[in-house]
Amino acid sequence: MRRLFAKTLGISAILGLTVIASGQGVDAPSLQAPVREAPGEFQFVRLAYSANRYGRNSWGRQMWQTDWPEAEHHFLKGVERLTRIAVAEQGRILTPLDDSIFDYPWIYAVEVGYWSLNEQEAAHMREYLLKGGFLMVDDFHGAWEWSSFLASMQRVFPDRPIVDIPENDEAFHVIYDLDQRIQIPSLQIIYSGVTWEKGGYTPHWRGIYDDDGRLMVAINHNMDIGDAWEHADWPEYPENMTALAYRFGINYLVYAMTH
Amino acid sequence: MIYAGDWPGWLFVLLIVIGVSGIGLMMYRRRANTGSPTATTHYAKLAVVAALQVAMLMTIVWVLRQPTLSTEQLRAGENSVAFALDTSQSMSYGESESRLASAVRAFAAATADDSALNLGVQLYEMSDRARRVESFLSSEALGTQTALLASVTDVLREARFSPLAAIVLASDGADTGGGLTPAALGEVAAFGVPVHTIGVGRELIPEDLELVDLVLPEKTLPGSSITARLSIRHDAPANTRIKVYNDDLLLESQPLELRPGSQVTTAWVNVRLEEAGHHHLRFSIDALNGERELRNNSRSALVEVADDSYRVLYFEGEPRWEYKFMRRALGDDEDLQLASLLRVSPNKFYRQGIDSPDQLEDGFPTQRSELFAYDALIIGSVEAASLSESQIAMIHDFVSERGGSLLMIAGPNGLGNGGWGQSGIASVLPARLPGSSTNSFFRKKAGVELTPHGADEQMLRLADESIANGEKWAALPEIADYQLTGSLRPAAIVLLNAQTDKGDIPLLIGQQFGRGHAYILATGGTWRWQMSMPVEDQSHETFWRQLLRTLVSQAPNNVSLTAGAGDADSAVRLRAEFRDAAFAPLDDIAVTAIVTHQSGETFSTALAPAADDRGVFLAEVPLAESGTWYFEAIAERNGEPVGVARSSMHFEAGQEEYFGFRRDNRNLERLSQATGGQHLGPGDIDALPELLRYSSSGITETDYRPIWDAPAIFLLLLLLKGGEWLLRRRWSTI
Repeated sequence: MRRLFAKTLGISAILGLTVIASGQGVDAPSLQAPVREAPGEFQFVRLAYSANRYGRNSWGRQMWQTDWPEAEHHFLKGVERLTRIAVAEQGRILTPLDDSIFDYPWIYAVEVGYWSLNEQEAAHMREYLLKGGFLMVDDFHGAWEWSSFLASMQRVFPDRPIVDIPENDEAFHVIYDLDQRIQIPSLQIIYSGVTWEKGGYTPHWRGIYDDDGRLMVAINHNMDIGDAWEHADWPEYPENMTALAYRFGINYLVYAMTH
Repeated sequence: MIYAGDWPGWLFVLLIVIGVSGIGLMMYRRRANTGSPTATTHYAKLAVVAALQVAMLMTIVWVLRQPTLSTEQLRAGENSVAFALDTSQSMSYGESESRLASAVRAFAAATADDSALNLGVQLYEMSDRARRVESFLSSEALGTQTALLASVTDVLREARFSPLAAIVLASDGADTGGGLTPAALGEVAAFGVPVHTIGVGRELIPEDLELVDLVLPEKTLPGSSITARLSIRHDAPANTRIKVYNDDLLLESQPLELRPGSQVTTAWVNVRLEEAGHHHLRFSIDALNGERELRNNSRSALVEVADDSYRVLYFEGEPRWEYKFMRRALGDDEDLQLASLLRVSPNKFYRQGIDSPDQLEDGFPTQRSELFAYDALIIGSVEAASLSESQIAMIHDFVSERGGSLLMIAGPNGLGNGGWGQSGIASVLPARLPGSSTNSFFRKKAGVELTPHGADEQMLRLADESIANGEKWAALPEIADYQLTGSLRPAAIVLLNAQTDKGDIPLLIGQQFGRGHAYILATGGTWRWQMSMPVEDQSHETFWRQLLRTLVSQAPNNVSLTAGAGDADSAVRLRAEFRDAAFAPLDDIAVTAIVTHQSGETFSTALAPAADDRGVFLAEVPLAESGTWYFEAIAERNGEPVGVARSSMHFEAGQEEYFGFRRDNRNLERLSQATGGQHLGPGDIDALPELLRYSSSGITETDYRPIWDAPAIFLLLLLLKGGEWLLRRRWSTI
């Protein structure tokens, strides 16, 4: 027990230093930053959601910023290389109440265990999704973060069930046949060798569907696809996990652009 | 005019020469005064006197020749004249008396004073054909057709061996039999008998409205709106209402203002038909106060709502939002089968909407029969170089020969950027696309506006009513991008414009090419309409559904049968076209039509190959009864069935007699002018006896009338000599 505590403490310290190191020299993203007008068909949009009281990490950075900007930077390069999608070089950050989210029918939200959407934000997101927008959520773990995520998600869709995405869903086959369900770990696998965190041992690929059976929300629980994108250039991070994360991301994106 | 005098001609010439010489000599001798300062005036006076004397000399010589007028006129008691009375139903119309009664009265007036000629009279009633009658006393306007030319021909044939001086035809001119062509008129003129026409009835009837024309598609898809175009004749401004019934069920009712300054007003009505099958639609306009002829206020048409499924192939070169949202817009449309071939990665195509695993398995079709199985083809943001030359040639033939519809959509690799402007289908497209060396695609938002052509297009109707439709278009959010299309081809029609930072540019352009149609949609960004408008708004879905429904409904099947109005009012013209799966015309087949009335009565008739159109077979089929008629064209080769095409129509016998019943002088004038006769208005009847007397047809005799002793001649001589005398007295110097 004592060894486990010491190990956990050590890992946390290393992780903390790593995050500090990775964050050095990187400004917090500005929501008002001017963005070139639609430079590509697909622009990676990160959702700057309202957070609960735990919505900032120990270093004051908001949880929705997690993995920014390397995650989208790497992922966009992958999309450009592996698909025919015309990709914008830069990502973009938008709040749920920003009307311009309707110009970007694919949006990514990270660490959604800490989001806390009010009724107005939830209504805006509901409208976005019902019109044809697609939301990919990622990097939240364990029961507590699930329940926190669920509280806001149920404001968005009070009456739509969250279900496991079936194996034969086109989201898992549109480009890559993703038949194996492998937990994509965060960076901590380098230090601890474990793929889970916060009690989230089993990965879940869940979703919310519209009335015509189309996936609107891809919920990646107990995994960290964003970390795999972010650390694609880290020699220590398992390359096969990055490749798998790319494949999931690309499949979600192409699915969103075809369904 | 002839000369009765028997003196030789040279004698007259000699007299003229002597007389003119004498006058000239006399004038020469009087030239003595030419030395005066007024020599010019003196010569002028001499010339006037000489002219008067020469004129008098010529008049005397002319009188000495005994000029006589000769005229041809009918020989009394040996000729006849045919009076043809239009007894079609339109002749029953009238005010204080019917047109029929007016015509009979005109005939009576014309024949009242023929005692000098003692003409034989033949009486005919005419409607679809002419029938000899003994008198017009019992004539009634009951004929269901007015066939002017056929009736006149009947009279001429019956009387061709008798001395017929002329035909006098009294009618309102409302011909429904057709055939007043120059060639047919020439055949009638060849008989050499003048036809004098008497027009009866009014040319303007302000108290009457008439639904002159009704145009609407014969076929549509379940749930689609069709637009009917109505032409309404009115001789005065009025307000009325258009109503549309499906059998007895009122489908649509809309007010209509008939403005002054035009005698024909065109109106459009949209009708939505949900259920598959044949729908008998009746379009009517409300009667005016005091309107008596109500039968010309409505027209009927049969519309088939086909239960067929139409196939569309969408070839797209990159995943993009337009692809997604177009598929979503069409997702609920069971009548449209959208198969798409999307290049998702450099090495992978993704297929959606396919019927079987092997459909499009090898990519874009390589066989004509495979491509031609689709009714419409959409090409998105993909380079022309991604297809082979033979595939591009196939797309060309898909439009020109198969009659399919092609829609090119803008994109970074589409239209000009994709090299389509230099491809084998460049000529098919309604614009001369720019070259691929210069970018023509811009990811900049742009507004959209309807052009006047677009405002009339059913496929661009977001609301039934025109004003509401315009407002809906004006309220649409901007599109996400646009592409320059280059200059338009002469036949191109611009339906939508984009309001860009470069000014207004064509956004949706179409043109017919060969048997098919080609369109350019110069944006890949209509998806913003879906994402930027309220969830419940259906503008984006409606736009795509209607656009694609129009595209597929324009594409003919490889077998088709159409039933249209025949030359005669009581006949229908069938046109069957048979092609194989690759749409090559079939001309080694025999085609028979089975014609069935709604009552079950049926008969068959053979269709003859069209002289100048391969694979086309024609027949003119007489229809005896009103009601719905069903037609089935069966093609056989060596006794084996090859294909079947079906059609139907609603037919009402004599219906046309109530339309165009205003007096039509043009038809009557054409008939009389072609035959050497004259057209007479109701007030010109008095001239008829004189016209008949000098008719060029029949047995005639020549009447000689000397005019040398006419008092006017002597008066002329007196004036000439008196004038000379007065002038010479006034010019006393002469």
